[in-house]
Amino acid sequence: MAELVGIFAASHGPMIVRSWDVLPSATRTTLTTAFAELGRRINAARPDVLIVISPDHWVNFFIDNLPSICIGVGETHDGPPEPWLAAFPHKHIVGHASLAQHMLERALADGFEPSVSYRLALDHGFCIPLWKANLDPLPAIVPVIINTVEPPFPSLSRCFDLGKSIADAVKSFPGTLRVAMLATGGMSHSIGEATMGAIDEAFDRECLQHLASGNRDALLTFLNQRIAEAGNGAAEMRNWLAAHGAAGARGFELIHYSAMPEIYVGCGFASWNALQNT
Amino acid sequence: MEHVDSGGGDYRRVIMRDYWLSKLFFDLQNPAAAAEYRAGRDTVLARYPLKPEVRAAITADDVATLAPLVNAYLLRFYFLVAGMPEAEFLRRIRAGGKSAHG
Repeated sequence: MAELVGIFAASHGPMIVRSWDVLPSATRTTLTTAFAELGRRINAARPDVLIVISPDHWVNFFIDNLPSICIGVGETHDGPPEPWLAAFPHKHIVGHASLAQHMLERALADGFEPSVSYRLALDHGFCIPLWKANLDPLPAIVPVIINTVEPPFPSLSRCFDLGKSIADAVKSFPGTLRVAMLATGGMSHSIGEATMGAIDEAFDRECLQHLASGNRDALLTFLNQRIAEAGNGAAEMRNWLAAHGAAGARGFELIHYSAMPEIYVGCGFASWNALQNT
Repeated sequence: MEHVDSGGGDYRRVIMRDYWLSKLFFDLQNPAAAAEYRAGRDTVLARYPLKPEVRAAITADDVATLAPLVNAYLLRFYFLVAGMPEAEFLRRIRAGGKSAHG
């Protein structure tokens, strides 16, 4: 049977790469340290496969075809198309079709109707954390896209339950495989809105407290009340909810949090002790 | 107590976008298309059946008019491609789309 060996989360933001050279040195140091610790933990888990849950920022999908949830079931995926990510070291990224197929079957059995893609382009939401965390070797990737970019979005509880479904799929996968999960995005931020640049640090810190408490209902109630006010980027906390669901709402550990208006993101890094859930 | 999921604020809100404006902004993610657009907007705009008032808003860099018609990420991306300095875009979007000079 496959084993869930780690669950992680990290923020992303284009300016982490695009503006790296002009960011304050303290910001660069903070981000480097946080990503390094994230990478150390993922590398230590020695995953054969990394399930990465991220939004699609208008790369694979458009408003003429915009799935709520999409599982990448292909053998290969493409690296980021953004020109400012040309230095990303992987033009193509190996997938894990059999695990992805198993996740799809489990999701269908659990009442989800995800779309599938046999070849996704993995944009900065996927690739900035993979790159900055310096994963060596880069595991096979099973990408999962949750639409957090253009409403209507999947509900918060649905995202939590999707994470549980994915964890159950991993644990029932008939093969010896070490699997980790990485949720990317969030925390509070606002892009292309009147509040662009604002960080809702109070939202972020209360959210982190609820994640640490392990009280699923309190977390969902809080998010239902506050997430829409924390900027459009805060919708990406749905990805963290999936990770939290995969962990059974237990074992959350904050690696680092900083409000970083210089990159427009409330930047959070976290891991869950997946072994507590077995 | 069972949590009652209201979904996360307005997650079920249906926002009607302007399709061809959105398509233009989406297509301009292609670097070649962006370069062509910067070299001459009219040639590119002529390929899209934009409503006259939408085309006028594009021509005028009218952030306030365009903002509700298109996804916010695409809006921000478009003005980067169009060459508006980030500080000016922030000034306009924060002021409800009006520039410092009105």
